[in-house]
Amino acid sequence: MYIYLPIAEISMHIGIIIGLGGGVGFLSGLFGVGGGFLMTPLLIFFGIPPAVAVATEANQIVASSVSGVLAHMRRGNVDFKMGGILLLGGVIGSSLGVVLFTTLREMGQIDLVIKLSYVVFLGIIGFLMLLESVRTILRTRRPGIHKTKLHQHNWLHGLPLKMRFRRSKLYISALLPLAIGAFVGVLAAIMGVGGGFIMVPAMIYLLGMPTSVVVGTSLFQIIFVTANVTFLQSVQTQTVDFMLAGLLLFGAVIGAQFGTRASALLRGEQLRGLLALMVLAVCIKLGFDLALRPDDLFSVELLK
Amino acid sequence: MIRARHFMLSFILLLGMTSLAAANSGRLVADLSKSNIAITSGFHGTDLLLFGAVDGAVGDDILVVISGPPTDIAQRRKANRAGIWINVETNIWQKAPSLYTILATSPIDKIANPETLASLAIGTNNIGLEIAAKTPVAGQSEPTANEFIAALQANMASIDLWPDQTGNVTLTENALFRTEVKLPANILSGTYKVRVLQFRNGVAISEDITNLYIKKGGLSAGIYNFAHNYSALYGIFAILFAVAAGWLAAVAFRRK
Repeated sequence: MYIYLPIAEISMHIGIIIGLGGGVGFLSGLFGVGGGFLMTPLLIFFGIPPAVAVATEANQIVASSVSGVLAHMRRGNVDFKMGGILLLGGVIGSSLGVVLFTTLREMGQIDLVIKLSYVVFLGIIGFLMLLESVRTILRTRRPGIHKTKLHQHNWLHGLPLKMRFRRSKLYISALLPLAIGAFVGVLAAIMGVGGGFIMVPAMIYLLGMPTSVVVGTSLFQIIFVTANVTFLQSVQTQTVDFMLAGLLLFGAVIGAQFGTRASALLRGEQLRGLLALMVLAVCIKLGFDLALRPDDLFSVELLK
Repeated sequence: MIRARHFMLSFILLLGMTSLAAANSGRLVADLSKSNIAITSGFHGTDLLLFGAVDGAVGDDILVVISGPPTDIAQRRKANRAGIWINVETNIWQKAPSLYTILATSPIDKIANPETLASLAIGTNNIGLEIAAKTPVAGQSEPTANEFIAALQANMASIDLWPDQTGNVTLTENALFRTEVKLPANILSGTYKVRVLQFRNGVAISEDITNLYIKKGGLSAGIYNFAHNYSALYGIFAILFAVAAGWLAAVAFRRK
């Protein structure tokens, strides 16, 4: 059964949409990630206009982050103060991102920038994750030779506007989370992702937050950043496809449940290693798209 | 008697004149099986029947041109810059038909010569398409205007909007014609112009024009209009929906 998507203005098989939602939902449940970095390229691959894919995916991530954050809130794993500062930055950054997105779209370069951002950021994150998980796997085989500091002090801790974050056991400048939030916000708006895959490592390695509160706090601020993107894209470009988001959501909710159950079968570092490989695979695929000579050098877009 | 002969004569004369007029100009009436089409949630392209009657002779041809509501088309050209393929040039084709398709009883080049087709504005080469705005590109060999329009035609054909001659028109007893028109799922809403022409010995001798109206309908139209007319409200609604759905999912699958 085909369904006509009113904003994307294309007709797509309903099974493909729910299947995409389910598949990506499964992986996001399995790895504990939002899945935007997989869904947006897949939607584009299936012929959804990039602008619609990015804006609609933001809308869907609002839902998956809400359902994710509730579980973390029950366990008290959300640092609301830190989340508040991050989301303040995130709202500023994502607003800039939407403006940038609209400009690039008018210039005809949005596809390029989306793909380049994916290649660069997925490449870096995937590589670092792979390195880390391989190291952990090796270390567990040869136990007893590691020691780590809580976190390291460097020039970042000399910045003004110091604030105490009780839940994260930190006393750092508010400018740091503000800047990280803003940077990830820009990327979220351009790439159609929540940005968890950049936010989480930034919180651990740059802010030095305890890992227990990282995921919950990241999800908490992603809700607001993606909600902001959804709203601004609706107003500026009218590219949020409510029908598409709803169907993807339906599949993703079910898929995520199976994914969460399946994740109990694997160890943490194995999961991270697999996730790293998947991230790198998406990166390499998009990299090839940019580097190989396209079959047709010309393309058209109807400007309605 | 004389009066009767006179009457007969004028009758024959009249008959002769009408058949002469028919031979020179022809007469053609065309219609569509449906002239209003709604793009609803279940829309996946549509088929419709075009039929009509013509005062024809042996060897006549029927040619149908369907052209969709005009739109601006951005044509982009990629080139390799620093190892990656990026869009280096954008041409805007103004008021190009969003759909263009020709159906006929014979291959088009057998029906009339290129000059005739050009004078009748038949074919995407002959409808005065021009590049309205162009981003200049430095230091590259520029394709010719013909290459640009050929690329445009190829791109539009690949997304089913400007297909090559898509179908055959059948003409029965030189009087009745019919053809099946297939419209793809990605057509724009608006007024479609359907031209039907009768050709004899390479000359168009009669023509009829009908309109086809395509509109968004049902839920699909509701969402589209909501998004465009009340976009801020739509954004808020989309967020609230997502929050509710996420909360519902968390509650429904809560374990322990």
